[in-house]
Amino acid sequence: MSKENDVKFDRREFISRVSKAGISVAAAGTAAYLLYDGKGPGPSTGDKKLVTLPDFSVPRRDGQTISIVTGPDRVKTVNKAIELLGGIERFVRPGETVAIKPNIAFASPPMLGATANPELVAEVVRLCYRGGAKKVYVTDNPINDPASCFTLSGIGKAASEAGAEIIMPKDGLFKNTTLAGGRLIKNWPIFCGPFETVQRLIGISPVKDHHRAGASMAMKNWYGLLGGRRNIFHQDINTIIAELAILVRPTLVILDGTSVMMTNGPTGGSVSDLKQANTLIASCDMVAADSYGCGLLGRQVLDLPYLAKAEKAGAGTTNYETLKPKIATVS
Amino acid sequence: MASAGHRVKSPETVISVGLLVILFLIGAGIFVKQSDFDMGRFGIVTVPAGLPLQQAEAEEEEKPALSSLASEGFEPFSKTEFYKPENLYEKINGKAPFYIESGFEELSAQRFVNKNDQSLWMEVYVYNMGGVRNAFSVYSVQRRAEAEPFEPMRFAYKTSNALYFVHGKYYIELVGSAESEEMLKAIAEVARKIRAKLAVDYDTEIAELSLFPQENLVSDSMKLYLANAFGFEGLSNTFTARYRIADVTVTAFLSRRADSNEAEAVAESYRKFLIQNGAVRKNTSQKTMEGKVMDFYGTTEIVLSVGSFVAGVHEAENQEAAEKVAEILINKLNSANGNE
Repeated sequence: MSKENDVKFDRREFISRVSKAGISVAAAGTAAYLLYDGKGPGPSTGDKKLVTLPDFSVPRRDGQTISIVTGPDRVKTVNKAIELLGGIERFVRPGETVAIKPNIAFASPPMLGATANPELVAEVVRLCYRGGAKKVYVTDNPINDPASCFTLSGIGKAASEAGAEIIMPKDGLFKNTTLAGGRLIKNWPIFCGPFETVQRLIGISPVKDHHRAGASMAMKNWYGLLGGRRNIFHQDINTIIAELAILVRPTLVILDGTSVMMTNGPTGGSVSDLKQANTLIASCDMVAADSYGCGLLGRQVLDLPYLAKAEKAGAGTTNYETLKPKIATVS
Repeated sequence: MASAGHRVKSPETVISVGLLVILFLIGAGIFVKQSDFDMGRFGIVTVPAGLPLQQAEAEEEEKPALSSLASEGFEPFSKTEFYKPENLYEKINGKAPFYIESGFEELSAQRFVNKNDQSLWMEVYVYNMGGVRNAFSVYSVQRRAEAEPFEPMRFAYKTSNALYFVHGKYYIELVGSAESEEMLKAIAEVARKIRAKLAVDYDTEIAELSLFPQENLVSDSMKLYLANAFGFEGLSNTFTARYRIADVTVTAFLSRRADSNEAEAVAESYRKFLIQNGAVRKNTSQKTMEGKVMDFYGTTEIVLSVGSFVAGVHEAENQEAAEKVAEILINKLNSANGNE
């Protein structure tokens, strides 16, 4: 101690200094307590209103949950596949509005199979109208520039000519959603605007190899509904696909394995990435559809962990044979 | 007795002031850093609403000018788009991690359309991979099995609608919308323009490729795995090549390490990894391969070190063919080690 500090305090001085120190500590603690945000930052700066997607599924019918039709002509195979499940009348009733969500992720020509086939999408639009639909929307939230994706994939033109209305992603169509019990989908922007006023939802997707997920099929198709910086979910791709399978309850999914992207997915790029498998699956159970579809890629259910996760979460069954698939061939 | 207004003037005061200044600077630093952190790391959108981040359309003069690449009869169909690792997923989604893990730096992409036929268009992708090895890796791993070489370029192949090649540190994809001669001709013209206009350092040879013996080598079968070759974390920078011997295909591999000690350590680790996963050692008549030949669920694995190389054979259908390929690879590597 220096001489300057070698001083004696009286009681008043001591109490005064201790009180000041105490007040300072208390003030700092109070300020920290008031400023502390226990929840942390939310995933979006946008609309904070949380919404949930309606359940679009139809009641199950024994032996009419999944159909598998082989043949090279998608128009014929999709008609047969839906007929085997009870016909379009089971899925679309007169006066209803239908949303179709094809995989239109990339600005890629139809020939490369990176997106849903435009003729198939157009035929499903026509089928919905035949079932009595009042209005059919075709929509997606693509990875690439939406206008280019709808144009270059050929889906925009084909769907419009079949009578569908195209809905492009816009800011106002995203709302924040939290999946009850979900680990990843928490207060996250979802492209749900087009589905708020419809009664039916149909997914259409090609069977593709996927570098991160192993395969992109019916369940992965719903990844397109995620807004925001959705690539962060690639870190846990199996969980996000399984959560999407819980979040979205479609009326029907159509899994197109007519031409399968065997390698270099999900973008492909060369015709040589494709293999003709001439198989189309229609299903009320997405997990069952994907479990069959992975075989078209030469993979097994165990190769795609998201299938087991989705099954465990109650989204469907990986054992599609227990559903007694309806099987047919059309030339 | 000290007065209430007593001021302490001492080294303690100086130290106290110093500590307060340090605390203030730390606080200021935190404040500045917090106002500029990457919200994306927390999954927080920094653009309005839920749309994906749009691609950055940076100043074109600073980037490869793709618009001048249009082949005869074609014209630009879109602006040049630029993507960095942060937003590459907006262009190629699930394949982005593959490129990023391979050293990706930037992608420039643009579409060109035929002036007379709008159904004929192509997209040019120029991936700057930061180095020729990285570019070769993404090129070779994605190489289509049924592709034809595109001569006279060394690392180039074509399919019925596309052309893929390595140009220095760039990996380039030219993807056409149709399978036609006209399309392929236009694509080839773009490739020539890229080679003429895009300056690269041609001194960056990939030395390991010449270490694979030529006898029975399947042409254009060489690949480079930058990490996790054959599912084993310790096997990085691993080159593979396929050999065809009496109707049996054998995959040979080599990986250069810092020295012979490291090479043997990696080889031993890989052998243990295989054994832990069900491999069983097999007898061999080749002295140099004793204890290095394994049966892995009906296929043959040979893993050894040769000087500073880890080398061997992966998943061969036939032990005899596997040992034959391993032997010629060992001889070639021995002479390479002798020359070093």
